[in-house]
Amino acid sequence: MSMLKFLLRRTLQGVFVIWGVVTVLFGLRAVSPGDPASLMLGQGATQELVERVREVEGLNEPIYVQYADYLGSLVRGDLGYSWRSEREVEMMVLERVPATIELAVAATVIALLIAVPLGVVSATRRGTASDYGATLFSLLGISTPNFWLGLMLILVLGVWYGIPYPSLSGSGSVPIGVGFVDLPTGRRAVGFGEALMAIVQEGSFGEMGLWLKHITLPAITLGTYFTALITRLTRSGMIDEFGKPYVTATQSKGLPGVLVRYKHVLRNTMIPIITVLGLQMGTLMGGAVITETVFNWPGLGLRLIDALGVRDWPLMQGIILFIAIMFVTINIVVDALYTYLDPQVSVE
Amino acid sequence: MSEDLLRITGLSTRFFTDEGQVNAVSDLDATVERGEVFGIVGESGSGKSVTALSIMDLVESPGEITAGSIEYRNADLAADVREDHPEAVDGEFVDLLGVTSSVRRSLRGTAFSMIFQDPESSFNPTLTIGEQIAEAVEVQRRASATPRLSRGVEYSFASLMASTVLGSKKFVTAESRERAIELLELVGIPDPVKRAEEYPHEYSGGMLQRAMIAQALAGEPDVLVADEPTTALDVTIQAQILDLLADLQEETGMTILLITHNLGVIARMCDRVGVMYAGEIVERGTLADVFDDHVHPYTEGLLGSVPDLERVGDRLRPIPGNVPSLLDDEMDDRCYFADRCPKAMDACLDHPPSYDARGEEHAARCVLAEMDYDESRALPEGYFGEGERPAADREAEPHGAEIEPDGAGGTRERGENE
Repeated sequence: MSMLKFLLRRTLQGVFVIWGVVTVLFGLRAVSPGDPASLMLGQGATQELVERVREVEGLNEPIYVQYADYLGSLVRGDLGYSWRSEREVEMMVLERVPATIELAVAATVIALLIAVPLGVVSATRRGTASDYGATLFSLLGISTPNFWLGLMLILVLGVWYGIPYPSLSGSGSVPIGVGFVDLPTGRRAVGFGEALMAIVQEGSFGEMGLWLKHITLPAITLGTYFTALITRLTRSGMIDEFGKPYVTATQSKGLPGVLVRYKHVLRNTMIPIITVLGLQMGTLMGGAVITETVFNWPGLGLRLIDALGVRDWPLMQGIILFIAIMFVTINIVVDALYTYLDPQVSVE
Repeated sequence: MSEDLLRITGLSTRFFTDEGQVNAVSDLDATVERGEVFGIVGESGSGKSVTALSIMDLVESPGEITAGSIEYRNADLAADVREDHPEAVDGEFVDLLGVTSSVRRSLRGTAFSMIFQDPESSFNPTLTIGEQIAEAVEVQRRASATPRLSRGVEYSFASLMASTVLGSKKFVTAESRERAIELLELVGIPDPVKRAEEYPHEYSGGMLQRAMIAQALAGEPDVLVADEPTTALDVTIQAQILDLLADLQEETGMTILLITHNLGVIARMCDRVGVMYAGEIVERGTLADVFDDHVHPYTEGLLGSVPDLERVGDRLRPIPGNVPSLLDDEMDDRCYFADRCPKAMDACLDHPPSYDARGEEHAARCVLAEMDYDESRALPEGYFGEGERPAADREAEPHGAEIEPDGAGGTRERGENE
């Protein structure tokens, strides 16, 4: 019951946060230079068309009416219309969500798979060569910019050593064969869901192979900072935890070392790391914009950059709003999870 | 008297820190008999806890046992390790410092178990009490199922991984959980079935200490090392915990090594006592030897500093000066207590060995065990440098004057004597 109350309260708080984001977005659009209708349509639009858009979008109304209209349509779930693409923003956002989520999840999985063992080795063999190696790796990982790492991976593994990465099909400048984005429809060649279905229904692993081939480099690029961060957190968290009296007490029971290290120490170390993981999801989304651009990964980030390039305000607002909602939701989920993981924390 | 169970000879434990070598325990001798309560008493920083950890083999880096032997009488263990470590075996005794760390680990929980000063931080906060006690039970169950004691309890990383999907690979079995509940009942925890499912923060301090005792009893150990078991508890709870320990000892016949700074606890519980100062046992003997017939001026000072109801209104009489630094560089080769000792003589400038004193098995690391105090040989006032003794006196004076007749000042003046 109290859990339900907690979720309700946090959701209400989340709604206020989203409302703030919406307001800032609206304000930015209002103060940005240029006539919104001309911007929406781009250069070369006729005066009549501009007038019609002004009328349809309510741009002739006073600003507070526009704001109220905007909020009203959002509440109804209407994100607006992209005059540039002549499509509903809603669809343009939703169709790109799976690619971004796949990328973010793959980056997180890679990060956890590498970071946790590395952090454990580092903490349990403090002062050895493997510890210094792991520390150096995490220092490099934290200080390497995403876009540079992505470009280097493409250059070294893609161009020099010929491991495929996603590219626009039909783009002649790209040396590697398989195009990932089907340009006319803007869709991907294969998504994780499709690849999974192919295995289940037809027993064909080719699609999954294709998916893995394409996602590996972007996921490594996006996940490197994350990997470095979690390595550090795991290391310092475990070292802290090893210093606590309960570890000595647990050892005094004669428990095998593997249980002391993992069942007790690592488990307790992971509890705060889960929180960081949740909070970092936002950063991951931000990083995805760059990574998606570098790898031409057809996710939300790439669409945001495209929208920015042509000042497609409705689309930009829609994408940013969606990212904000994801961020708030993940945080609520992580907080709820925390009360489950750490018995000392209750929802009160 | 009954047979010896533990013979500690010349035990030295050092910590190699950035500031230098710290001599936490130096050349410590003690013998613990089966079924007795042996007390170690001393001020904070005198090396009591490190002694306990040395016995448990839980001294952690940068600490290291550098010399001595800890011989433990266990015929089965002696038979087990004779082949691999013939030099460590002497009859039924096994020198624990001569066997591998896996043998040492196999003894934890089953031969020696330990209860700690602060029960609240000595349990893992994220596992239930029942689970944590059941782990200790499981260690014992698995150890007794293994034919060779020295092999210890093995549980691989692969089993741990598999345990997340396969219940059968879990370390703790249902039988152990049931036994954990029995143990909770044994130490007087009401409604043990329900309380086993609770987390440490849901327990009170006294209950947690009971749970820790239950956990320590899980492996039916020969020796229970109790490191300041009552220090973190309220006075009324302290008495309950001591009663519980005394009852359990009577029932099981286990040996207790009781470490405390509280002379009241020693007087109440112990058969024999070792008084520790600066990493050494400076006086040891039966309770009567130490309390009524002591030789060492430190023992005398320690006993004299206990508040006495018959002297209400008197000042407390703390031992002047401070506990000496245990840094190797700063320790002179003399009696470490000489700078605070009211009876320091020129003979105290040599480090005293352990002398036999008046009673049987009564020994003191003090020249006064061999000779009488001779005023003509006394060291002049301020011999160990200006500041040490006078400063301590200054500190003692105003505090002492503040003590109220009703004893309210006692808390302010506690130091290590409660």
